[in-house]
Amino acid sequence: MGDDGSKFEQLVEDFSRIFDIRIDVDAIPWDNVNEKLTTAVASGNGPDVMQIGLSHLPAVVDAGALADLAPLTDAHPNLAPGRFLDSVAPDRLNPAGRMLSVPWISDTRVLFYRTDILTEQGLGEPPATWEQLRAYATKLAARGKGAYGYHIPQWDVPLPVQFIWQAGGDVTDASGKINLDTPEFRRAVDFYLSFYADDLVPIASDFDQTQGFVSGATPMLISGPYLATALTEQAPELAGKWAVARLPGAEASTALYAGSTLGVFSNSTKTEASIQLLSYLTDPETQLRWYALNGELPAVTAALNDPALAADPFVRVYVEQLADARPLPVSSAWDPIGQKMLSALNRIALQGANPEATLAELHQEVTDLQQ
Amino acid sequence: MTEVPPIAGTATRRAPQPAAGAVVRGGLRRGALVPYLFVGPAFVLLVVFGVVPILVAACVSVTDLDLRGLGDPATVRFIGLDNYQRLFGDAEFWSALGNTGIFIVLGVPAIIIGSLAVAIALNTSSSRFFRFLTGFYFLPAVTAVVAISLIWGYLLNGQFGLINYLLGVVGVEPVPWLSDPITAKFSVALVAVWRASGLNIVIFLAALRSILREYYEAASLDGAGEWRKIISVTVPLLRFAIFFVTVTTLIGWMQFFDEPYVLTRGGPTGATTSISLYIYQQGFQFNEFGFASAASLVLFVIIFVVTAIQLRAGRFAHE
Repeated sequence: MGDDGSKFEQLVEDFSRIFDIRIDVDAIPWDNVNEKLTTAVASGNGPDVMQIGLSHLPAVVDAGALADLAPLTDAHPNLAPGRFLDSVAPDRLNPAGRMLSVPWISDTRVLFYRTDILTEQGLGEPPATWEQLRAYATKLAARGKGAYGYHIPQWDVPLPVQFIWQAGGDVTDASGKINLDTPEFRRAVDFYLSFYADDLVPIASDFDQTQGFVSGATPMLISGPYLATALTEQAPELAGKWAVARLPGAEASTALYAGSTLGVFSNSTKTEASIQLLSYLTDPETQLRWYALNGELPAVTAALNDPALAADPFVRVYVEQLADARPLPVSSAWDPIGQKMLSALNRIALQGANPEATLAELHQEVTDLQQ
Repeated sequence: MTEVPPIAGTATRRAPQPAAGAVVRGGLRRGALVPYLFVGPAFVLLVVFGVVPILVAACVSVTDLDLRGLGDPATVRFIGLDNYQRLFGDAEFWSALGNTGIFIVLGVPAIIIGSLAVAIALNTSSSRFFRFLTGFYFLPAVTAVVAISLIWGYLLNGQFGLINYLLGVVGVEPVPWLSDPITAKFSVALVAVWRASGLNIVIFLAALRSILREYYEAASLDGAGEWRKIISVTVPLLRFAIFFVTVTTLIGWMQFFDEPYVLTRGGPTGATTSISLYIYQQGFQFNEFGFASAASLVLFVIIFVVTAIQLRAGRFAHE
């Protein structure tokens, strides 16, 4: 259930009291989730209710580890599909006609920028378009030795995908197959690679995102709200010198939706109690309490629009961006393809591989992997 | 080589064998069972935890088993040698195999020569300080690999690492220890050598202590210098220890995993992805159990062949 067991226990205390259902919370570090899941599926012994990061959802769905909740939602209005954010409405995350999990928390990507450094360079407003992002980055990188304009983490698969969306494209075609051989993909790749070609980003693979932002070496980068938490905790002295903004865009300024969902294990013998818990957790009030406890944003529209959230200027940006955010394809084919895509881009950017040949090879691999 | 007539010692050692055969023919005596009782438990453990998993992996490697297949075995299909075909056509597999080869070339000789040199140096005295030093060298072997790699990760970090900071103080440009494809291989191998040396030093030290002083005295009488004594007395008498360390180190490095996993996750751009790390990624990141089993079986065959050659060579050397 992620790494925050004690706070979650606090959250469900009331539930246990009201419904007289005991809940054992088992917190699993995100790094170990996949192994735990494999064991649970293989042995048939798993938790009744589990939190599933969206990136793990395809594997969990594929493994048949989740019970179908569709027949039960009538009795639990909180689980009705229309109550969740459009980008992750249950029918978008599930194979046709079934409901295997319900959205639980929302996470997205925004642009982090150092207001002090940008102002110093005469750049008032944060960049809103691709052209501005590049122009800003060029100006910021010209500050001197060891200074860059922007940061591309070399492990970040969603970043190029966001560029594809922003170019007006998608990674899946009409038939639902993953296809990267599109003009929008090419446009996104050219944009991505241009930062390397013009030396606007660090090329060291162990370049630390937080450190680079704090030191000012990379005064702009795209990351999630977790970076804001890290900055508040690790660099309190930086408060007021940085801000967040919606992603710069081209045709669109779509960001990644990267939350997690809740599902009921298919072998669970306590389906009714589990559904009750899901209904409790997706109640707008619980969702807001969870935000207050743990800082994770609601996935239920009613909670997300609550004035309590709008008070924080950062959260206002997250909520705004969430209205234009999409999840990565919920398909088990995506994970290896995403890795191949990233490694192809890295080979071109860092090792000088031939772009045409490398991309042609990538498209071939994408086709092969989906046969 | 096999035609060489057995020397006297070997002949006497082999003598009981026909006698034992005679006993079996004459009816099974209780004494004949005793050796099997001793070997039994180890044999059962080997079969259950060694042979059976290999056979299971061999079976899995000709299927398309993934996470779905684990939940519902009815969906698993037999696909023959497709996994192997895909494996041999995968550039990442060959790159991982090549990386493992480079790691072995860098690491194995460094460990053997380095540990031997340190052990010989430590053996020159048994004072309290030298015993402390022995413990000091052994320390990395008993420290958790994750802690070691984390600390080294911080030391070697190109941006805020201590090593680059110190280099900067004396005016040297920062070195991309973990982010340059070539340098990263050396960095990862260096950490692994540092970690593995302790145990081998202790093995060499134990072997060194068992060498009789008389040999060195005799060598001194013949006018041998220190260097000559190491070459002509120490190294030949350490033959078995060197052989043991070589075999175990080579197997360990063919399965090289911990350091690249924690230090670089196989990066940059796969430059430190060893074959074991590749198998781990395929199996536990992408849940392609069938494909990963095929890769692990290939690794098993490689290790088996290399070790068999070594044992054969070792036996010839002995005879």
